[in-house]
Amino acid sequence: MTDILKKEMNLSASVLSYLFIAFGFMFFIPGYPILCGVFFVTLGIFQSFQNAREANDIVFSALLPIAKRDVVKGKFLFSCFIELCSFVLMAVAVMLRMTVFSEAAVYRDNALMNANLFALGMALLIFGLFNVIFIGGFFKTAYKFGKPFVLYIIAAFLTIGIGEALHHFPGLEMLNAFGFEHIVLQLGSFGTGALCYDIMTLFSYRRACEHFEMIDL
Amino acid sequence: MSIVTVRDLVKEYPAFRLNSVSFSLEAGRISGFIGRNGAGKTTTIKSMLNLVHPDSGEIYFFDKPLSEYETEIKKRIGYSTGTVNWYPRKKIRDIAEVVKCFYDTWDEEAYRRYLAMFRLDEDKTPLELSEGMKVKCNLLLALSHKAEILILDEPTSGLDPFSRDELLELFIELKKTGVAIFFSTHIISDIEKCADDIIYISGGKIIAAMPKADFANRFSINGENLEQTFLRLERGAQND
Repeated sequence: MTDILKKEMNLSASVLSYLFIAFGFMFFIPGYPILCGVFFVTLGIFQSFQNAREANDIVFSALLPIAKRDVVKGKFLFSCFIELCSFVLMAVAVMLRMTVFSEAAVYRDNALMNANLFALGMALLIFGLFNVIFIGGFFKTAYKFGKPFVLYIIAAFLTIGIGEALHHFPGLEMLNAFGFEHIVLQLGSFGTGALCYDIMTLFSYRRACEHFEMIDL
Repeated sequence: MSIVTVRDLVKEYPAFRLNSVSFSLEAGRISGFIGRNGAGKTTTIKSMLNLVHPDSGEIYFFDKPLSEYETEIKKRIGYSTGTVNWYPRKKIRDIAEVVKCFYDTWDEEAYRRYLAMFRLDEDKTPLELSEGMKVKCNLLLALSHKAEILILDEPTSGLDPFSRDELLELFIELKKTGVAIFFSTHIISDIEKCADDIIYISGGKIIAAMPKADFANRFSINGENLEQTFLRLERGAQND
């Protein structure tokens, strides 16, 4: 498992994938749709897929003495690694905004979504969409990624829009909770996002393995 | 002793059919896989590497079916192509560093030896190498994990006559160490120069799979050289 991840990181990855992890810090920006940071992180991962295709990485990997599903596993491990690295940055930002900066006017007077546990759950949901729509779609051919990426962009921005809009609907204001207000709801929404991420990633990985096994390279 | 057996391989495409391809390869011999462009050479080779899924047929390496022992078999074979290069902007050193992790048979001493023999600079990227050096780079990786059989898809394609000659000389040297070499080509002089066996494919069908001398005895007429024989056979196939 570590060998294939090492191969992904050292040979296939674009440096942008690593640099774009820093977009996780966008969770600190007030008056900005913070979930766009999640999209930028996945844009960095997309660059690695582009890099890999130019370098004939999939065929190279399939020729290594590993099972074909391990080629798929490598891509998922790398993507999840980048996603989780940026998630840690987002989590740090959320923790600080929930505690030290919970009363900061610049965050309180913010018409857009607050960085709380609900936002973190939404971030995981968008990462899950990337894994299921883009990575899953890519492995239908192991070559074409234009259509899956466009579909992912549509789904991601719809989700960002919904995330940003929800707390403006009557009765849903509590989704924009500050500090530890409505903590059960915050924890519940975060848990739901985490569960969606796990289910979508696992489902996509299995489907991708099945597709990749049948593809002629 | 056969170390590779391909039996009744069939792969159907809308405009092409690989038709019941069968042949075997022996240790310490060079087998030239010849056929014109589109004859089915690459499809056969890709099937042997499990990159393409045949509709039917069996492939055995070292008496083990590829379908069941793919990982184990791939540790014992090396693949190179003259037409594709991997990670064009990565240094050879970095590529080798990753590749070695996948082979418990990796021999660092052999790697250094072949690096010197091929006059390859580890700090160069495939993009900076000539076509001939790219093939040598692929061979370097294959030989460093002690591949017992080298499967080479048109390794001489795009090479100048000097590099081609140098590469074919290298095949002869490698053969002496017991390595089996299976290389596809559409350049008949490559076969004449170094092949022990000829596997001739035309229109997706194996026309002949036999030692070179037997091939000449059976197919050449009135003192034809191999090139003339192949051209006559191909023209005949076209007329059919």
